[in-house]
Amino acid sequence: MRRGRRTFGLRHRLVAAFSLVALLVSAVFAISTYLLARGYLLAQRERVVQHQSFADAVFVQRRLESAGADVSAVLTAAGTPAGHTIILRWHDQWYASALDQGRDAVPASVQQEIAAGRSVSQRFRSADGPALVIGVPVRTAEAEFYEIAPLTELDGTVRLLSGILLGGALLATAAGAALGVWASRSVVTPLNRVAITAASIAGGDLDRRLAATDDPELATIVGSFNSMVDTLHQRITRDARMAADVSHELRSPLTTLVGSVDLLNARRDELPERSRKALDLVTADLQRFRRLLDDLLELARSDAGLDQRPNTVIDLGGLLRQVLGEAGAGPPAFPDGDDVFVAADKSRLGRLFRNLFDNANTHGCGLTGVTVTRSGDDVLVLVDDSGPGIRPEDRESVFERFATGAAKRGSSSGTGLGLALVAEMAAAHDGAVWCTASPGGGARFVVRLPEAERES
Amino acid sequence: MPMHVLVVEDDDRIRAVLRLALEDEGYQVAEAADTPSALEAVRSALPDLMMVDLMLGEVDGYTCIREVRRVSDIPIVIVSARSDTHDIVAGLEAGADDYVTKPFQVKEITARIRALRRRLRGSAEATEPDIVLDSDPARALVLSTSRGAVMLDGRDVPLTVTEYRLLAELAHPPGRVLSRPSLLEKVWEHGYYGDERIVDVHIRRLRTKIERDPGRPQVVVTVRGMGYRLDPQ
Repeated sequence: MRRGRRTFGLRHRLVAAFSLVALLVSAVFAISTYLLARGYLLAQRERVVQHQSFADAVFVQRRLESAGADVSAVLTAAGTPAGHTIILRWHDQWYASALDQGRDAVPASVQQEIAAGRSVSQRFRSADGPALVIGVPVRTAEAEFYEIAPLTELDGTVRLLSGILLGGALLATAAGAALGVWASRSVVTPLNRVAITAASIAGGDLDRRLAATDDPELATIVGSFNSMVDTLHQRITRDARMAADVSHELRSPLTTLVGSVDLLNARRDELPERSRKALDLVTADLQRFRRLLDDLLELARSDAGLDQRPNTVIDLGGLLRQVLGEAGAGPPAFPDGDDVFVAADKSRLGRLFRNLFDNANTHGCGLTGVTVTRSGDDVLVLVDDSGPGIRPEDRESVFERFATGAAKRGSSSGTGLGLALVAEMAAAHDGAVWCTASPGGGARFVVRLPEAERES
Repeated sequence: MPMHVLVVEDDDRIRAVLRLALEDEGYQVAEAADTPSALEAVRSALPDLMMVDLMLGEVDGYTCIREVRRVSDIPIVIVSARSDTHDIVAGLEAGADDYVTKPFQVKEITARIRALRRRLRGSAEATEPDIVLDSDPARALVLSTSRGAVMLDGRDVPLTVTEYRLLAELAHPPGRVLSRPSLLEKVWEHGYYGDERIVDVHIRRLRTKIERDPGRPQVVVTVRGMGYRLDPQ
């Protein structure tokens, strides 16, 4: 869950970083391009209009200087380009080359500049849109000449340019984001592979390794990861071997002890009463010691992965009857399961049930029922006892090694490993074991095993 | 005449307790601590049965079993602290008949020995007619129950007691399929948890001695998922 969120975060951060950089770069380019282009276009337009205006102003001046000039005729004769408007103030009278324009069309600030005797070129926003006004004081004729040129066309061009640049910037940002997705994927995919492999190794598949890669940077990670797993694997195997070797070494003295106690027991009639009692104590604890050692060895073997896969198909009913028979008390509820087959290692599956029955007899006040049922493709074996049951909060921990509830000190039986071994053996048979409450009041242990086809 | 058991074991105490236990059961016991003295004892004491530890100091138990097999076909029981299937199978393939794992109870050992003894006696007392296993005149194979032997071209095939019992069990009557558990029960007298691979190893060894092509057996055939069957040719 957390790992999932973290990869998610890295991926998003990478995409965001790539998009941001793309946005910044494209924005800087777009804005500077826009400003430069706009400045250049405007300056050029202004220059053209100024040339025209000064030419017009000179023409108008000449005409006005000649006596009896008709201002309207002069303005018409000036032949201004389409869209341009000439506004003239002469002898405090205002004249315009267009009917809909007049004194009001000229911004007041421009009029002041002209009144002060300075030529003016200024952009402003007219009623028809952006426009350029050129003002020229014509002193010799005591007139003020204004020419207004519309900038609408130029404005449209600049707008189009800004639109194109904005679109380009957005495209570049999107491309940056796409690049970020690609880059993050190429970073995150190997990370995910490592995560998946690590998870399956943690799940017990110690032979799993990362596949070799040509990428030099990844190769370092893959190499270190694999050698780490190798080291761990070696250590785990060594520890497990150690436990197995210790158990083996203990077997030789135990053999002598078991043999000698057997001999003594064969002659127990010759022993005095007190010696016989002592012998009984030794016999009982030797039995317990032997079982503890067997359980330890079995666990060590299973930890080291030394066990073979269960490969014999057996009928479950036969096995249960056999184990119940060995337990001595005889079957309290005759189990079915003669037509139920499982792939098993006979002695290990037998041990599983022996441990469960022992547990019921020593901690559960006696076995009350063994039931075999089917559940889908699985077989369930229900083992009930008549004891006080197991509290819900302890129902998982009873399967731990040396769990406190299972190994009462001073109790003559129980190694503290019995139920841990049950769990291991069930897992080794691709099954599981869990604990619930029995309808009769005691504890109920449920063993699930996959059902096998009977060999034919 | 008491049965003579040779105990090959490098642990003095285990040897001592085995001697005590076996003598209690009425057997005569000879001891050996390593392979050379075991070979010597096999030649001089002529034991009826040998018990051998798989870990014997410098020369391991497998070598000891192979060496003894070269000079004798007496029953051999492995006594091993290792219950790893790999070790057991290797010991059986070296020529052992059966195995027990440490720590064992004396009654397990005596049960195995009694079963082997019954095998010896059983083969000597049978009086049934001979069974022809392979009628090919080039290599006639005959099971002679009365003599307790198998003859190939008129000469005895050197079968161990267990191999002979296995063949005899399959041959009475021939053509019947016997499962691994039932063979374990009949030949080895093992209980419910008996190791079925013992059967497979012995069948393999038997085939190398009597089959024309042990890789494609025709006399002792495997019936998949069921067991083994004897098909006289």
